[in-house]
Amino acid sequence: MVSNKVLIGANVSLAIIAILLTLSFFEITVPSVGQVRYALDRTEPVCVISWKEKFTVFTGENNLDRCCLEARKQLECIKEIKVFDKNKVEWSCRTGSGNVLTYGLNSKAYNYCRQQVFWRRR
Amino acid sequence: MKINLKSKRKRWNLHQKVFLILVILVLFLATINVAKALGWLIPEQPKIKVEQKTIVLSSLTLEQKIAQMIVVPGQEWSVEPWRKMGLGGIHIYAMKDAQVFKAMIEKFQQNMTIPFMVTTDLEGCWTPFGNFKNFTSVSEILTTEKATEVGTEEGEFLTELGFTLDFAPVVDLKDEIWNCRSFPGDEKKITELAEAYIDGIQSTGIAATAKHYPGKTLVVKDPHKFVVAAEISAEDVYPFASISAQNKVKALMISHIIASGAIDTKGKPAVVSTEVISQLKQNYSGLIISDEINMLGLKKYYSTMDEVYVMVFAAGNDIVLNFNDDPNEIYHMIQVVKKAVEDKKISEDKIDSSVKKILELKGFIVE
Repeated sequence: MVSNKVLIGANVSLAIIAILLTLSFFEITVPSVGQVRYALDRTEPVCVISWKEKFTVFTGENNLDRCCLEARKQLECIKEIKVFDKNKVEWSCRTGSGNVLTYGLNSKAYNYCRQQVFWRRR
Repeated sequence: MKINLKSKRKRWNLHQKVFLILVILVLFLATINVAKALGWLIPEQPKIKVEQKTIVLSSLTLEQKIAQMIVVPGQEWSVEPWRKMGLGGIHIYAMKDAQVFKAMIEKFQQNMTIPFMVTTDLEGCWTPFGNFKNFTSVSEILTTEKATEVGTEEGEFLTELGFTLDFAPVVDLKDEIWNCRSFPGDEKKITELAEAYIDGIQSTGIAATAKHYPGKTLVVKDPHKFVVAAEISAEDVYPFASISAQNKVKALMISHIIASGAIDTKGKPAVVSTEVISQLKQNYSGLIISDEINMLGLKKYYSTMDEVYVMVFAAGNDIVLNFNDDPNEIYHMIQVVKKAVEDKKISEDKIDSSVKKILELKGFIVE
């Protein structure tokens, strides 16, 4: 038989879940783990677009949207550390292998991208 | 005996009753949240009457007409909400192989009275098909013969998969970001190559899109930014002017750039400039397509997305790309634009004219 103590614990948890679900239904959301990690990460976001031997580096969070959108359109984003002209990226988003266009993102940029409206259901 | 059984039946205490109620409540809330997320709460539009490929425009509700002007991402889970809203088109991101693309497109088009426009970005190096097929990068195309050949090859490939509209070619003069998206040469050579490419791809039934009007969208100005403002020269506009004057290309895409010089958007992003789009439409009867509208270059210009929605429609874009993958937000966008039409902030004639062009591109006779 379940004790009252356990039931009280379960009821409190269920009540919290019910409140969160109600808020979510009315689109009042609490920050996700990704958003918290993004906020706490003090590094500068970096996006590197590379094709064959050429690459272009973008830094700063104001203008990452295009990079995020194009990265989102790729088949996969895999964890892979690369360095482009002193800029380290931890994620590579691409379609296929070899000399394909690749979007390299550091963790800060990757977490930023994942918050964008076109990336939520990846 | 009866009395005995009754006395043995266990009575639930308060905590157990609360537990039961909370479990039921959580299950109910979880269900409606999932239903909402999947767009199941969005109302279905009335059935559209089509007779012998003819559609009477006035038989469409205002919501249906606005929906025809929207292109959204086409993903496995979104078939039902997009179908229910009767949206104009879907944009398919990269997938594993040709069979997966085909199956997905067939799934979307099944039982649609007005089929979706199925769109992609196939620009050679910039391709969602890179996992199973390679294409020639436009930066490596040097002759008009080759451009036509590449256009035809890409068009046949897209037709085979079920696509109808390609957001290509790029006719910006320079690509200093991706380094592979622009044709080589000066404005005249680029125009020749782009026209030849358009001839090739459109000969297969795929509609091409010359982009990104008015140019200079792929140029690095400041390493901290994607360009949002640029001085546009007569050379930048030359390919667009030449291609659109002949109505050679089925669509033109407008960027979010704030232009000055040969094209002056008066401090506004080009995509919301009524003057710029009206001027374009004077000599061009094809479709005007907005670039994706969730970019900061555009969003930052307005305080809410609702304003963005109203302005991109009011400016005269025939097709609006909104890659927000939340069906409720897309439904909300339709409602916002509908209200703006009812409040006379957007002319219904403008909407009708755009929808007529879209339906004609889809092969319907519009009355």
